[in-house]
Amino acid sequence: MEKSLKPRLLIGKPGLDGHDRGAKYVAQILRDAGFEVIYTGIRRSPEQIVDTAIQEDVAAIGLSLLSGAHNVLFGRVLELLRERGAEDVLVFGGGTIPPKDVPRLKEMGVAAVFTPGTPAREIVETIDGLLAQRPAV
Amino acid sequence: MERSLDQLVSEARGGGPRSQRAAARLMSVMTDQPHRLAELLAGSRDWPQPRLVLGITGAPGSGKSTLADHVVAELRALDPRRKVGVVAVDPSSPFTGGALLGDRVRMMRHATDSMVYIRSLASRGHLGGLALGAKGVVRVMGLVGCDIVVVETVGVGQSEVEIAQNADVVVVVLAPGQGDSIQMLKAGLMEAGDLFVVNKADKPDAAQLQQQLLAMLERSRTARLDLAHGASEPLVCHGPQLQGPGGPIDIQQDRPPPPMDFDEETPGVFLCSAANHQGIKEFVAALEELTTRQAALWQARRQEQAVEEIRQAVLEEVRRRVSHVLQLNGNGENQIRRILAGETTLNELVDWLMDVAASGTNAKSPAASDAKSHLRTEAAGRAEFA
Repeated sequence: MEKSLKPRLLIGKPGLDGHDRGAKYVAQILRDAGFEVIYTGIRRSPEQIVDTAIQEDVAAIGLSLLSGAHNVLFGRVLELLRERGAEDVLVFGGGTIPPKDVPRLKEMGVAAVFTPGTPAREIVETIDGLLAQRPAV
Repeated sequence: MERSLDQLVSEARGGGPRSQRAAARLMSVMTDQPHRLAELLAGSRDWPQPRLVLGITGAPGSGKSTLADHVVAELRALDPRRKVGVVAVDPSSPFTGGALLGDRVRMMRHATDSMVYIRSLASRGHLGGLALGAKGVVRVMGLVGCDIVVVETVGVGQSEVEIAQNADVVVVVLAPGQGDSIQMLKAGLMEAGDLFVVNKADKPDAAQLQQQLLAMLERSRTARLDLAHGASEPLVCHGPQLQGPGGPIDIQQDRPPPPMDFDEETPGVFLCSAANHQGIKEFVAALEELTTRQAALWQARRQEQAVEEIRQAVLEEVRRRVSHVLQLNGNGENQIRRILAGETTLNELVDWLMDVAASGTNAKSPAASDAKSHLRTEAAGRAEFA
């Protein structure tokens, strides 16, 4: 393909916390890095996020969460993606997630977890790297 | 691995759990893969089509997404078996190429409604070709059974207006507080409207805006009428009668009225407060009525556009291939400098580019190098580019 178009990404905010400064900031970072970023707004259900990801044909979903319900909600998003035959959609996450929970999230299938203080460059490079490994569709 | 288009088309058309995913992939092909777009557009002639493609455009913040959201809600409420599509276009950054697509935020209540299909697109400004890609996305929405498709774009910039103009009906959304009557006199956006929505009717200045809009529409109707006549034909004035000392003055004495063979209709103006679902029922009812009246005409118009679509797809593909060759050669800077230095001509360079582009993926193989004799051989040309 010509001038390789960067993949489309979805930034979703599942659960009930209404604090989306982080989600918006990451969306802006990714936008400025040349991605087309779709933002869902706050307080979305995993169903809404997964249905949106499928309709928008995104390569990856970024989930932002500060309520502490990450184990349940990230897990539900992954489960729904599998149910819909869309397990090739990459899932990454961020927010106030205790470091001790990160290994478990990765085991569940979350490709990367960005905790507070992660440099913007690291986020962009990690996502670039993860997406480069995906087979083209 | 590229999946076959036929396979995707039959999956999307078939309904079932895989349908949405296949449709989403087809839309990506339409927007991201110009080399497959032409084939797909040509093949889409016999797909089912939406009855109405409604373009919604207007300044940022005038409430386009909220209007689209409420129009969709109203359409779904009127007929729960009806599928509705939304194509929401937001601007790409001219600096980084990135985009933040946020129209969905206003429409999330439809996210899990399987009868509503929403797709966000970035306008991709200078990259070109989105108008056609967006058309392709609408086509796929028809394929999956959408009866009405709403295409929402910001009404600034040529590409955005172009996208809106591919719709059957274009509605321009205005909101109070966005400028005076001089803004309405400016060319572009206001000319694109078949219908107008004065949104945010709950704001105090909405009624005044509506009056300004009506005055503007009346003025442009008169201007069109005036221009439609020869220089020697006087215009029949239907305005108020002039009063002279001896009674009313008849300024049209002895002059026959000029023929009136143009569209007499003034675009409809609707006062809405979309966020409160106010005025939406009336607006949707008017759309339904218009669709019933015009659907056959629109279908015919879309058929007529087929040739133009393929022509655009061909041009887009030519542009893509030629700029690909330029890119392969470090944007051809050395070659372009040779033109500046008078060592070669622009025509020669273009001929060479087209030759290389025509040999496609084999552009680098020396086998294709015995092109026209008056041109440098390809291998030599490449050396000069390096």
